Amino acid sequence: MNIKNKIINLLKRRVLILDGATGTELQKRGIPQGVCPEMWCIENPRVIQAVHSDYQKSGADVVYTCTFGANCFKLGQYDVSNIGEVNRQLARLAKDAVGEKAMVAGDIGPTGQFVKPFGNIEFDEAVEVFKEQVRGLLEGGVDLFVIETMMDIQEARAALIAVKEITDAFVMVTMTFEEAGRTLNGTDPISALITLQSLGADAVGCNCSTGPEGMLEYIAAMKPYAKVPLVAKPNAGIPKLVDNETVFDMQPVEFASFGKEYVSAGVNILGGCCGTLPAHIHELKKEIRKEKPRAPIRKSISALSSARNFIVLEKDKPLCIVGERINPTGKKALQQELLDGKISLIRQMTKEQKRDGAGLLDVNVGVPGIDEVKAMHDVISLLSTITDLPLVIDSSNVKAIETALRLYPGRALINSISGEEEKLRKLLPIAAKYGAMFILLPLTGKEIPATAEKRKEIVKSVFKEAGRFGFTKDDIVVDGLVMTVASDSMAALETLKTIEWCSHKFRCNTIVGLTNVSFGMPQRKWINATFLAMAQASGLTLAIANPSSEELMNIKMAADVLMQKDKDASLFISYFSEISHADEVNMKTEKPPPEQKVFQAVLEGNREEINDFAKEALSSGTSADSLVQDIMIPAIIKVGDLFDKKEYFLPQLIASAEAMQKGLEYIDPYLRKDVSAQEKKVVVLLATVKGDIHDIGKNIVSLMLKNHGFNVIDLGKDVPAEKIIEEIKQVKPAIVGLSALMTTTMVNMKDVIELAREEELDCKFIAGGAVVSKSFARSIGAEYAKDGVGAVRLARKLSTEGLVRSKR
Amino acid sequence: MNRSVFFDSINVPTPEESIYRRLGYRKGKTQLTPQQKRDIDYYIEDALSFINLKGAGVSISIQEKKLSGIILSTGIIFESVHLSAFLEGCWEIVLMGATAGGDIIEAIREDSAENNLTRAVVFDATASEIVDASLDWIMNYFNQELRRENKRLTPERFSAGYHDFLLENQKIIYDILQLQRIGIKINENFILTPEKSVTAVAGVVQVRKGEY
Repeated sequence: MNIKNKIINLLKRRVLILDGATGTELQKRGIPQGVCPEMWCIENPRVIQAVHSDYQKSGADVVYTCTFGANCFKLGQYDVSNIGEVNRQLARLAKDAVGEKAMVAGDIGPTGQFVKPFGNIEFDEAVEVFKEQVRGLLEGGVDLFVIETMMDIQEARAALIAVKEITDAFVMVTMTFEEAGRTLNGTDPISALITLQSLGADAVGCNCSTGPEGMLEYIAAMKPYAKVPLVAKPNAGIPKLVDNETVFDMQPVEFASFGKEYVSAGVNILGGCCGTLPAHIHELKKEIRKEKPRAPIRKSISALSSARNFIVLEKDKPLCIVGERINPTGKKALQQELLDGKISLIRQMTKEQKRDGAGLLDVNVGVPGIDEVKAMHDVISLLSTITDLPLVIDSSNVKAIETALRLYPGRALINSISGEEEKLRKLLPIAAKYGAMFILLPLTGKEIPATAEKRKEIVKSVFKEAGRFGFTKDDIVVDGLVMTVASDSMAALETLKTIEWCSHKFRCNTIVGLTNVSFGMPQRKWINATFLAMAQASGLTLAIANPSSEELMNIKMAADVLMQKDKDASLFISYFSEISHADEVNMKTEKPPPEQKVFQAVLEGNREEINDFAKEALSSGTSADSLVQDIMIPAIIKVGDLFDKKEYFLPQLIASAEAMQKGLEYIDPYLRKDVSAQEKKVVVLLATVKGDIHDIGKNIVSLMLKNHGFNVIDLGKDVPAEKIIEEIKQVKPAIVGLSALMTTTMVNMKDVIELAREEELDCKFIAGGAVVSKSFARSIGAEYAKDGVGAVRLARKLSTEGLVRSKR
Repeated sequence: MNRSVFFDSINVPTPEESIYRRLGYRKGKTQLTPQQKRDIDYYIEDALSFINLKGAGVSISIQEKKLSGIILSTGIIFESVHLSAFLEGCWEIVLMGATAGGDIIEAIREDSAENNLTRAVVFDATASEIVDASLDWIMNYFNQELRRENKRLTPERFSAGYHDFLLENQKIIYDILQLQRIGIKINENFILTPEKSVTAVAGVVQVRKGEY
């Protein structure tokens, strides 16, 4: 029996015990601070061998080699370059220490670098780095591998692929989850499990970061989705800061007392991480020696994942919409963007589709003349970082699919694999290697099988072939093949029969691309939506569609309720609540007189409707001057008061100011044109001073001043003193407002004022900005305004006091 | 000096509370209608789609500490009494930098120019807070790395431009971290662009032997 089978058999009978922390033991035994642990162990072999031996004697079935940092990046920090040899020697030391009494796991830790798309290390470079370590460990005779303390799912994938491409040995992967239940890079335990077990990890779990209490919930959360044994290696409690120093203080008996709960939660392999000693392992072993482990619940799972999310495809779940928009077919702008290597449209489509309710995103980059492999690589890299929706890799290019699957930090769905012999031969091994699910297209040649019967035969035949690669029915999604009813009136019914058979007899998930059904028909949206409802009734699991289609989404939500897939209708209620709310608001706002609506629009920052309300008010006989003086100005003054009292905060203040501005622009043509009044408008010159590029505060002040009738001339940001002086001479402002955000640039305000005084320019200066204080402003000869409201008040005060002159 | 680590896509939870606080929201005082809340949340979500958080970090040992500043193992000198005091008990530092990228700045500029200052202000606050959160994330990363060496970072960080640690030191940090590799530029006034880009220094504290 080989070692892998031995481990698998052992796991059926009992919980395997792992060792505890190595670092703690090495410190106790004299490792100096700051040395390379791996090299120190090679130089002091008896010490590390004693650690391994003590763990074995304490009851560990598996000890880890002291190779956590034995990769070229980590050892490179100590100028060590013979990576393979270091790993070989340390594995040998462990083997010699425990002999046949325990198994030795080749320990692979993180490189300290981040892998693309999350870092700058190429994925294949990372794989090669880990392979160097794997080869050394194998030469040293390790029995199995452990990839541990991973905070980045992509690095864990790279390490796992490295092991799998070299050996068939048993390999465990454990991630480290922060307090919030995600890795530093945002992966949750279930997504990590789905990704890693589908990629071939023989056991998955977590280590470090938390004590036994905290880690227990991660194991419990993973168990329902696990088809592999689960591993836990918690710390000896939560680290505490005592006198500004970190301490793990959970004693062995207390640590071990969690053992039974772990077994009950579904752990199959258990040990200790930071702070645990041989005594912890001894007590743990004692505590659970009679406990029977819970076998993995599932043999297979129909689930997809991204780096930060997962979806389980189950018959009792609502229909999942696969967003179809990232597909250049018929979209010239997207085609051009892909050819130019740009991403802004894809970014926008991704955001919108998620917002509209897509659960998965289809990704197709096939444009004539494009390097599809490169384009797929780039788009998958982008999408992996900007969305948490799992992806559907849509291509007929085998290399593009393989590239996407190798890079994608999750479990993807391939769209699609048909019954064509060559497709099967090329794509099934790739899908199996990367653990992807695939859409089974019931086609064998160019001719579309017209009937459900023919499609069923192809499904059975492809599935049989896929079974040779280890695929189960949970790993496939059958495409119902939607043909147009305009050319074949039976087309829709044959698709529905196929879906029904797959759902109820063959028992696998199904998908359709909806819109083809209505091709050539008028009012296509109704046919699409009706067909969707019928397909849902037949058991459809996924639909490739545009989630921005209101009809489709409304029907989907309703059908989910009627099919008992949205059991308490909570999704339906939530989906439609916003629409109901908007209706209520509309009904309420229809009641008050138009002037009140204008007042309210300014008060609430209603930029969308203020002009309609103003028009209504003017039509009802209110004069434009009265609307401004008696309604809008009091409203904006009230906004300022609310802001002062902190009942309003900045976005509300600005929204109101913008509503006011918009309303004023609309009303302007109706105002009495008093030329002298126009000329008397106080001119304010604004600038963010030289060296400073932060100007949003100044923009707010500008808007607020305009609201209150000032004539604002805004010079922008990073404006040299000379330029400001030149403008002062030219436009003769009454007030000059200067802003700066930084301590290093606020001193440039002084230069402007000094220069102005030298030139005997008599305008007043107002200074403002995050770091500017009243005393600083005074010291340079300026008044101080705290914020936009303050600037308005100050400008009005300066105006009314006659301290400033009007434009001549 | 260790090899710099580059983070091409940092993912942090949206610091919604900090964003609201930065915008002046005061719990129990500020009153928002459901529609206003929805609008602001929508803007925050929108801002996130324009933000590409990237970062870099590196640890460097300190060769010598004086009252007036520190000398790094690379021979670089940071002159600052306050920085030296901040690094009391540390013989290693971590330099870090992060950026929200250029797209969000462009979006803020466009919104400011196209009379959508409300959205611009929310974008601005979101970008500021999320870049700050990304420095926390980088510190968290280094803490995880340092844990196995019985070390941890000082909980606070220090930045060029504060107290007597002159802004011109930002150029030194920029060069060490090679921040151009994550799309950051620095001008003659030592200001980083895109605007929402930051650098900082944290100290590495040795935890007492035997505590891990």
